[in-house]
Amino acid sequence: MDIRFDIIQEYAPYFLKGTLLTIGLSIAGVLIGTVLGLLIGLGKLIRHKLLSLPFKIYITVFRGTPLFVQIFIVHFGIVPAVLGTTNGIATGIVALSLNSAAYVAEIFRGGIQSIDKGQMEAARSLGMTHSASMRHVILPQAFKRSIPPLCNEFIVLVKDSSLLAAVAVPEVMYWGKAMQGQYYRVWEPYLTAALIYLVLTLVLSGLLHLLERRLSTD
Amino acid sequence: MKKGSLLFFAIIFAFIFALSACGSNKDENSSADNGGKASKKTLRVVTNAAYAPFESMDKGKIVGFDVDLIKAVAKEAGYNVKIENLGWDPMFAEIQGKNADLSVSAITINDDRKQTFDFSNPYFLSTNEILIPKDSNIASADDLKGKIVAVQNGTTGQDAVSAILGKNNKNLKKFEDNNLAIMELNKGGADAVVADNTVVEEYAKNNPDKNLKYIEDNKNFAPEYYGIMFPKGSKLKAEFNKALNTLLDNGTYAKIYKDYFGTEPDIDKLKAQAK
Repeated sequence: MDIRFDIIQEYAPYFLKGTLLTIGLSIAGVLIGTVLGLLIGLGKLIRHKLLSLPFKIYITVFRGTPLFVQIFIVHFGIVPAVLGTTNGIATGIVALSLNSAAYVAEIFRGGIQSIDKGQMEAARSLGMTHSASMRHVILPQAFKRSIPPLCNEFIVLVKDSSLLAAVAVPEVMYWGKAMQGQYYRVWEPYLTAALIYLVLTLVLSGLLHLLERRLSTD
Repeated sequence: MKKGSLLFFAIIFAFIFALSACGSNKDENSSADNGGKASKKTLRVVTNAAYAPFESMDKGKIVGFDVDLIKAVAKEAGYNVKIENLGWDPMFAEIQGKNADLSVSAITINDDRKQTFDFSNPYFLSTNEILIPKDSNIASADDLKGKIVAVQNGTTGQDAVSAILGKNNKNLKKFEDNNLAIMELNKGGADAVVADNTVVEEYAKNNPDKNLKYIEDNKNFAPEYYGIMFPKGSKLKAEFNKALNTLLDNGTYAKIYKDYFGTEPDIDKLKAQAK
């Protein structure tokens, strides 16, 4: 296998720009997805069946359809309907956050439900309201338990952002494809892209591991 | 618990059987499709079926000018063909890796590609055209400067626009295929699409409600010739060139051409390009 390092070098600045965009889109997706996911997860826990229904539908739809399809719907349907024209960056942020929110919601719901009932009862018996005990007692513990599955979800999100290349969002994979389209070579662009994603996910899992250690009470 | 896991395994096995059944069914279909004598070798032809009228999907079948032509040429050369829709980029990788025998997908013959692949004699003449909204003020390729242009990644349309805007300019949006590029134009994400004339004209003709028009630019966009693409050093090249020449001479080519484009092909110009 002969690798042409000269074309990798030629595309290095584009890969760098792509990496920055991938990082940006992933951070936006993670942050918005976490906030939305938390709200949706709490929504699904509402006892009233009718009130929790929209949240259940949301999770069913976004978890049950491929992100690839969602990207096309967002890019050619939702974003032009709101902004008037297509916008790759907006598509990236919207599609990634909406998709990850569904998974994060289930992770948080699992985390919340895994906390012993006694914790809520103890908090309530101390005179805290339901929402205050949720905020100060249940959620911090649930969040800690949710970190390993969240870490999984965020890594998936970083890698899934590569699907945005299909609608010409200039992230890492887009430049990989562009390079492949110019030179008709497959190893150089795709191995480079794979390496970049590997480094990104390594850094991300390292950061989340640090967070896990800091929150550890043992 | 035991009962449950047994059921689980039963379901898994049922799945595997169903899937493997699918696989063998497909094989039977394709061999039956090719019919013919067992002595005829079946060639694996790969294409990107998102390029009407050259190749597109019609209810699960690959149809188009290229498909009819390659079937006729292969028949003349004494082969069966099995056409697979792989997509544009994977198609090149398959041929480069010699995993497929040939590719026919409106591929323009150019020097870059010749370094890695072998091509037949030209079988089609084409030029790039610019697809724009009817109210656009773009009048020639030079007007594309500063405008956002959508193309299919890895096409000569992309090369032509790169030459005007500069390579990897941020205003150049590269899509998986022309349909997506044109959709981007329709949704306002691009000011123009540059692609082969037949695709552009076919789209504008079939979608009058989109209010699109197309313009030529012979100064910036040189004529291009499509060729059948083979792996480097393929022995099929000579056989297919001979068969193609026969079809050009005996009127079969002209008949297929008229079926799809409604006009007479310029056979002399094609033959003049063959060396």
